[in-house]
Amino acid sequence: MSDSGIESNDFVPPVLSTDQDENTFSFQKYSTTEKEREFYLGKYTEDELKEKIFDYYNLKGLIQYFKNHPEYYKVTLQFPDSLIHDSTIVVGILQEVLNNEVPILGLEKDMNENSTTPDMSTRKFWVLADTAYSACCVDEVASEHVQSQIVVHFGDACLNAIQKLPVVYSFGNSYLDTSKVIEKFKDQFDDHDAKICLMADFPNSHNITSIYKALLEENYKNLYLSSINPELANDKVTILGNSELEPSLKMVHTFGNRALYTIDTNFKNFNDDQLREEFQLFHISKPMDPHLLYLTTMFQSVSIYDIKDDTIMNGPFPSLMKRYKYMHVARTAGCIGILVNTLSLRNTKETISRLSKLIKDNGKKHYLFVVGKPNVAKLANFEAVDIWCVLGCGQSGIILDQYNEFYKPIITPYELTMALNDKVTWTGKWLVDFKQVLNEIEKGEEEKEEDNINGVSYNNEVNEDSLVPEFDAVTGRYISTSRPLRNITHLSIDNPNDNSSSSTSLIKNVSGGVLIKGTVSTSAEALQNREWSGLGSDFAQQDGYEEEGATLEQGIGGVARGYGFDRNRN
Amino acid sequence: MVAFTVDQMRALMDRVTNVRNMSVIAHVDHGKSTLTDSLVQRAGIISAAKAGEARFTDTRKDEQERGITIKSTAISLYSEMADEDVKDIKQKTEGNAFLINLIDSPGHVDFSSEVTAALRVTDGALVVVDTIEGVCVQTETVLRQALGERIKPVVCINKVDRALLELQVEKEDLYQTFARTVESCNVIISTYADEVLGDVQVYPQRGTVAFGSGLHGWAFTIRQFATRYAKKFGVDKEKMMERLWGDSFFNPKTKKWTSKETDADGKPLERAFNMFVLDPIFRIFAAVMNFKKDEVNALLEKLEVSLKGEEKDLEGKALLKVVMRKFLPAADALLEMIVMHLPSPVTAQFYRAEQLYEGPADDKNCIAIKNCDPKADLMLYVSKMVPTSDKGRFYAFGRVFAGTVKSGQKVRIQGPNYVPGKKDDLFVKAIQRVVLMMGRFTEPIDDCPAGNILGLVGIDQFLLKTGTLTTDETAHNMKVMKFSVSPVVQVAVEVKNANDLPKLVEGLKRLSKSDPCVLTYMSESGEHIVAGTGELHLEICLQDLENDHAGIPLKISPPVVAYRETVEAESSQSALSKSPNKHNRIYLKACPIEEELSLAIEAGKVNPRDDFKARARVMADEFGWDVTDARKIWCFGPDGNGPNLVVDQTKAVQYLNEIKDSVVAAFQWATKEGPIFGEQMRSVRVNILDVTLHADAIHRGGGQIIPTMRRATYAGFLLAEPKIQEPVFLVEIQCPEQAVGGIYSVLNKKRGQVVSEEQRPGTPLFTVKAYLPVNESFGFTGELRQATGGQAFPQMVFDHWATLNTDPLDPTTKAGEIVVAARKRHGMKEEVPGWQEYYDKL
Repeated sequence: MSDSGIESNDFVPPVLSTDQDENTFSFQKYSTTEKEREFYLGKYTEDELKEKIFDYYNLKGLIQYFKNHPEYYKVTLQFPDSLIHDSTIVVGILQEVLNNEVPILGLEKDMNENSTTPDMSTRKFWVLADTAYSACCVDEVASEHVQSQIVVHFGDACLNAIQKLPVVYSFGNSYLDTSKVIEKFKDQFDDHDAKICLMADFPNSHNITSIYKALLEENYKNLYLSSINPELANDKVTILGNSELEPSLKMVHTFGNRALYTIDTNFKNFNDDQLREEFQLFHISKPMDPHLLYLTTMFQSVSIYDIKDDTIMNGPFPSLMKRYKYMHVARTAGCIGILVNTLSLRNTKETISRLSKLIKDNGKKHYLFVVGKPNVAKLANFEAVDIWCVLGCGQSGIILDQYNEFYKPIITPYELTMALNDKVTWTGKWLVDFKQVLNEIEKGEEEKEEDNINGVSYNNEVNEDSLVPEFDAVTGRYISTSRPLRNITHLSIDNPNDNSSSSTSLIKNVSGGVLIKGTVSTSAEALQNREWSGLGSDFAQQDGYEEEGATLEQGIGGVARGYGFDRNRN
Repeated sequence: MVAFTVDQMRALMDRVTNVRNMSVIAHVDHGKSTLTDSLVQRAGIISAAKAGEARFTDTRKDEQERGITIKSTAISLYSEMADEDVKDIKQKTEGNAFLINLIDSPGHVDFSSEVTAALRVTDGALVVVDTIEGVCVQTETVLRQALGERIKPVVCINKVDRALLELQVEKEDLYQTFARTVESCNVIISTYADEVLGDVQVYPQRGTVAFGSGLHGWAFTIRQFATRYAKKFGVDKEKMMERLWGDSFFNPKTKKWTSKETDADGKPLERAFNMFVLDPIFRIFAAVMNFKKDEVNALLEKLEVSLKGEEKDLEGKALLKVVMRKFLPAADALLEMIVMHLPSPVTAQFYRAEQLYEGPADDKNCIAIKNCDPKADLMLYVSKMVPTSDKGRFYAFGRVFAGTVKSGQKVRIQGPNYVPGKKDDLFVKAIQRVVLMMGRFTEPIDDCPAGNILGLVGIDQFLLKTGTLTTDETAHNMKVMKFSVSPVVQVAVEVKNANDLPKLVEGLKRLSKSDPCVLTYMSESGEHIVAGTGELHLEICLQDLENDHAGIPLKISPPVVAYRETVEAESSQSALSKSPNKHNRIYLKACPIEEELSLAIEAGKVNPRDDFKARARVMADEFGWDVTDARKIWCFGPDGNGPNLVVDQTKAVQYLNEIKDSVVAAFQWATKEGPIFGEQMRSVRVNILDVTLHADAIHRGGGQIIPTMRRATYAGFLLAEPKIQEPVFLVEIQCPEQAVGGIYSVLNKKRGQVVSEEQRPGTPLFTVKAYLPVNESFGFTGELRQATGGQAFPQMVFDHWATLNTDPLDPTTKAGEIVVAARKRHGMKEEVPGWQEYYDKL
């Protein structure tokens, strides 16, 4: 090598970041493989495990179901993360029992015509784990990847309607020490005349009748118990072990996926308002945050029995007042991110399109996001978004930011429809069902139309003056950026062929917004307000900065996995 | 019977040298509104008989009922001066007609923000001081504010009648009282006066102090007496004025002036002021009050005062009032003082311009303001909103500093957050109407040139409280006003009926508009909060909200206090947080900011909008900062202007500028909601020591940095001996000696700290000053009244933030109790998370 060559070999590439290999940090590792099953199976020995699981998931019923429905031979089994360790055992049992049978002849023929599946004689099972959105919902999209014909959903569920696949729910029959529950209940409620409703998550619901009866004997007069809303079961939805309640129990009210029953023969039907004003709820097991919030809006008070610690919890619960605050934030937000946190719920698409139209009609900008499982970091990446509206399952798919971790608040479609109302509205209700939200939107639109007919116009006036800023009740300030699209009528859109403007800048500043090629862009606006807006922008403030830039220098070449100097070295 | 027409006034507006914009300021109950009445009466707006009782500028019903001023009220007056007086005016004038734009302001400390708003649009101030009570806490506050805004004061010593009738003082005692008061005023003035203003102390012998009684409608200056005697004795008026004040004595035997108290024989001589000024007044009082009819008539003749028909039949106080009013009409003395000694807008704007304008001093708009140029681009500052009879609409009240504003003119409306070149908080709108503010009435005018005070119709929807109006695209904002008081007392309001919610929100907006200082916002837990400066302020605000702005029944929570979270030491170790993807790390330490700097930031003296180099210089010179550190301040927080700072102390970190926006956003968020109980941080400086960033831009985006910086800030904060700060009132109580004991016992019970206790010379009154935590101040007035038999009445004004010395993280301490209670109220976990929660191990 020549002298000059030595010099070039000495060239040291710029350090682009502190070197980060396994010496500086290590990946998180789980050391324990112990499986925690006792809290739902009760005490058991290793030999009993299979039997326990067989009983717990009501596999007998499931096997019976498949025997009755031989047409389903591609089956997906969906487990929540907490129960995934049972999946191998369950699949083992199912395969053992079901696939030793003789396949039904007629079916086989049918299959042969359908040449896609090679082996008809066995049923195929897939286990769905790490559900993308919320574990309580049926992950239809994932099961479609294997062209599954039916989904068996294990564990607690929301029972929300999905688009097309048939579903079998197996909640599990959780072990529960009822005597402890009854003791705690008696501690909690002194008033034997109080109207109290007993409720549990679905895995624990099978114990509720016995608790109910025991408490009636303790002379609690106005007790109600809740169970699965019978309207939810239909030809596509099968609920294992949903044995009919005793005929002495009469259904008095339904809400969400629950129905209330009483043994009192003098019962009267009542409505939601009465429920809210008069009834106390005793809930066994702690529901997920969104569901808990929903329950607190439905009952006068809520007490939760925590199975693991055998304690009663009376709060703090997620607060509706905070939702009210976020609703106000949305009123003055200029840019709304619609965050899709489900793909299988019925009416999702419809809701998205209606919401986007509603947002646009209100002069606000919106973007649609699907980010997989949302977390703080993912959402904080989108700086232009002022508020998120999450479309997800009401039981656990809605993010309730209890500890203020998220950079921008997250609201539900129902809250957003209220926020987009011209008048400040707040109902004190918390609707999470898309169907109800769509109804609300429709109602709002009808009202608006009526008002239009009655001569009340909504900002149809075109004048050159700026639009009036809005008062933000959260900060107590005037916000001028709450409706970026409203200004669109005031913009004169340039002819793209018109080269008369001397500026070569892509972005155009107009009063009330930033334009890129005639489109209002809140992101371009956000970028303009940033201190760092791209390579070199930070040098502009330095002393002796030259507009023209420095002379070009030869840099390093190659791709990231091996630059020129790296390859030479090796 | 109005003595002048709008046209006359409009014509005067163009002759700016003959305009005087002035505010009347004083301690509560020293008689501002009453004194203003005598001026209003001179202008012929109210009848002479009612002057002193009508309180014309108290336009609200509750102001009349309570007898206190709540809102400042503007009125324009027309006045003509005698030619010889005009000659004595030391600034440029034209003709002898003058327009006086007067703003009467409230005296109660809770409404100090109204005073600030009034001072901004005026150039001079008439400071009213009670003869007996002397200079009080609020006198000092408003005077300090006025001088801070470069406003020239003149003083009127009021309620002299009380000294004569109630206390029956001797002439020399009265002189001493006057002299003491003048001296106390001058002490304050010399402490706070801006060099630019020159000598603004007040001197009775130069005619910048008046003495009188607003209630009886009389007042005088030494100049007036000097003029009379100068004519009578044929001596120079100026010389006479000098002789009528201070240690100047007249020997009637030798007819010589001397500065000694005794004559050659050692006999005491009478002070010239007592002899020539006070003597006639004392004689009138003595004669009238002792019902010596003949003596009265003789005196009247001597003083060239003639009574009309029925007035002759009056007796006692009524007669006294008529006689004094004819002898020494208050309006004459005050107008003379205002016109002669207060600056015209032309004079004042010359030295006020750079202090009023945010942009550079050589900016064309700044120069236009300096010259008070009516032909330049418009520069108008809206200092407050005044409710109109049309519910929910407001007049934008302000002053034209440059250019001319016309009805129908299109203007740029720049809100307080406007930054030149950006479009946030910027609106374009035509002004519907320009009006003159005349107390409870308004008079429309076509246009209004620079230097005048006015009201605008049609722009109220664009400004919440204040703003700048201009026609120039490059204009910066006029400087935002800083209030001496702080809204530290807050209540949560709730509707009784959910259907009223829209009305509540609209009402809160209107309330926020109608008061310069009140804050309405939402708490962490989603309650609507109204924050005011004190209990009275809140009471008035809530009353307005309930009866007027919202017009609905409300549920109001007991008052609570706003706290601050701060640190006492430097972080005991450097705080490290890793980003969610573990590829970025931020190392930082928190440490306290010295109190003086925090105060300077809060007062806007150290401002995020300043040029960073100039700011670094100030911080180095005045606050002992390292210049490099001061230049590397990344941001102020919360809201971009609070007293918390991020300083970049890293060395050679790649991509550092790239994450600046994320760090700033995170810091705003972290300082807005501190980790202890979600209150704002105060006096916390965060030094970023080192940053490790991932080489790929996508892995060091906002999503990774914002949560990390927030966690790191919390960790650093919690490692630096976190403390909480509570607001503290300065309480001033005037009472007779026997009540002092009661005051002490109440103060003791309420964690109060006595600062000083003084007897006012010449009176039996004691003044007790003490610090009282705002948290303990609720119900203080009532308890004090009880303990002292109703003899003590406190004035409380926010003074400072005091750090509670106990550990807020320990629930058994006082600070811990406050924290736990607040966390419970906000629905947070009762235990404060430890620093470990936010700290990541390497």
